This record gives sequence, C-alpha cells and structure tokens, in this order.
Amino acid sequence: MAEYRTHMKIIGDILSTTRDDLQDEDGATVTYLIRKANISHSRISRILKTLVSQGLLEKVDSQGSNKYKISQTGREFLQAYKTFSGFATNFGLTI
Amino acid sequence: MEFLLENILNLVGFLVGLSIGIVSAIGFRNTGSPTLFRLAIAFFSISIGFFVIWAGYMIEDFVIQSGSVERWIQTLGIAIQTVGYFFIAFSHSIKSLFPKSKYFRSVGMVPLFLVSSVQIEHIFRSVSFILLAYGAIETILSYFENRNKGAISVATGLSLLALGEFVGWYSFVFPESILYVASMVIKIGGLIALFIPVSKVPLTKIKFDDNFD
Repeated sequence: MAEYRTHMKIIGDILSTTRDDLQDEDGATVTYLIRKANISHSRISRILKTLVSQGLLEKVDSQGSNKYKISQTGREFLQAYKTFSGFATNFGLTI
Repeated sequence: MEFLLENILNLVGFLVGLSIGIVSAIGFRNTGSPTLFRLAIAFFSISIGFFVIWAGYMIEDFVIQSGSVERWIQTLGIAIQTVGYFFIAFSHSIKSLFPKSKYFRSVGMVPLFLVSSVQIEHIFRSVSFILLAYGAIETILSYFENRNKGAISVATGLSLLALGEFVGWYSFVFPESILYVASMVIKIGGLIALFIPVSKVPLTKIKFDDNFD
C-alpha cells in the first residue's frame, strides 16, 4: 500500500536529497528531484519555488539548466525537521 | 498524605506539561508544523490545569485555611486539562467528540450515565478518561507501524493517566478507601513516563532563525 506523505514530509525528502544525495557538486536537477521525491512536475515546481523564496534552497544556473542546492538555512531547517519529526513520532504523530 | 501527594502530582503535572509544551512550541517555531502547534496547545493546557489546582491548594493552605480546597478551582483545573487531552486526541485525527460509529457512540456515552448529574467535575474526568484512552490506543498502534520505542513510553504515560482518572473517579464511590491515593500515584507515574522520550530531544543542536516564517 502506498504511504501517505504530508506536505512537510515531502519538503523533508526534497531537502534530504539536495543535502545527501546530489548528482554532482552543482546541485540536483528538477528531473532528478522528481524521481527521488516521487512527486509530479507541477507540484515540485511550486514547492521548489517556495523553498527558494524562503531561502532553504539555492537555485544555480549550471550549463543552461537550473539546479538546486541546499542552503545553510535549509540545513538547519532539515536538522530541526528530523529532530521534531522524531519527537512527534513518540506521540504517534507525523509532522 | 493525600495533601502531599496532591501537591506532588500537580507540581509534576505542571512541570512535565510545561516542558513538553515548550519543546512542541520550539518545534512549531522551527518547522511550522500544525501537529506540533496542536501538541503545544495540548500540553500548555495540561500544564495550566495542574497549576490552577496546585495554586488553589497553596492559597487554601497558606491564605484561606478553610480545610478544603474550593470545588470550583478543582473543576476549573480539570476542565483546562481536559481541553489539553482533547487536543492530543484531536491530533490523532479525532473528527468529533461523538464518533459516528454506533459502537463508539454507545461506549463514549457510558461514563456520562455513570456519573453524578450535578457535578461537572465528574463529567470532565469521564471525558478526560475517554480522550486519554483514545490517545493511548492510537499511540500504541503507531508503535506497531514504526517501532519507535518512545511511543511505548508515551502510550504507557497516557494509559496510566487514563487509569488514574478512572481510579480517581471510582474513589468518589468509595471515598475513604486507598483509591484516591492510588490514582494520584498512578498519574504521577504516567506523567514521568510521558516525560522520558521528551527528555531525549537534543534541543541544544537546534539553531533558531528569527527570519524564517
């Protein structure tokens, strides 16, 4: 059965990919993130736009294509997300 | 003995509720998660509820000295705690206070028939028991899904609080028995069990960012 993921969990997955699982040093392409985060192009586009505007991701122009890298703020957010995700799991909840 | 235990219970409840509420609030501040917001409201309410009762006992003991705490203070404190228990249950996707299932509706109504019709405090205790039992069951079910050991501690804590409420309610039937003392000891155990996983949250590693919404 497919696992239901909250919006927060999807953001966590995207940030984790851009931190731990990059294709190369320039960052991850949208196609790569779609495959890793397993969501549609239209949805990931909206999320990436929000994450860049919030300063959690950095948009890098690399050889004519856009790539995404996690920022320092994004790393801090991801750390907080993982900590409090574990905290909520203790209560049988997901954040 | 009862007075001492009552004070310990209310102080422990206040501190544990406050601690978990603060951790949840920090989590909400850092992640913006609505789940953590609901948990923060829940545990701040529980904390305030215990504090109101503790303050009532202190004022009675040192100022009024009438021999017994005002009934409405106890009722107010329990009502505020019940709000907190509701938010814990609500976080587990409870849709309303009266579930649509015929079975649950009937089970949910039983304590309301069992209690005295005049004392609102008994109704709040009954509702608290239902909400705590619901929260404990949902938490233990989540353990079977993700095998997180902290969930066992929280489920045990909520179960002991529910049992404490039940035994405490039963002590009204047998007022001179050991049941009331037993209920307070059980509740203190429940609060400690609730606090165990929270004490392991590594808050020192979290860096606060005031510019992040």
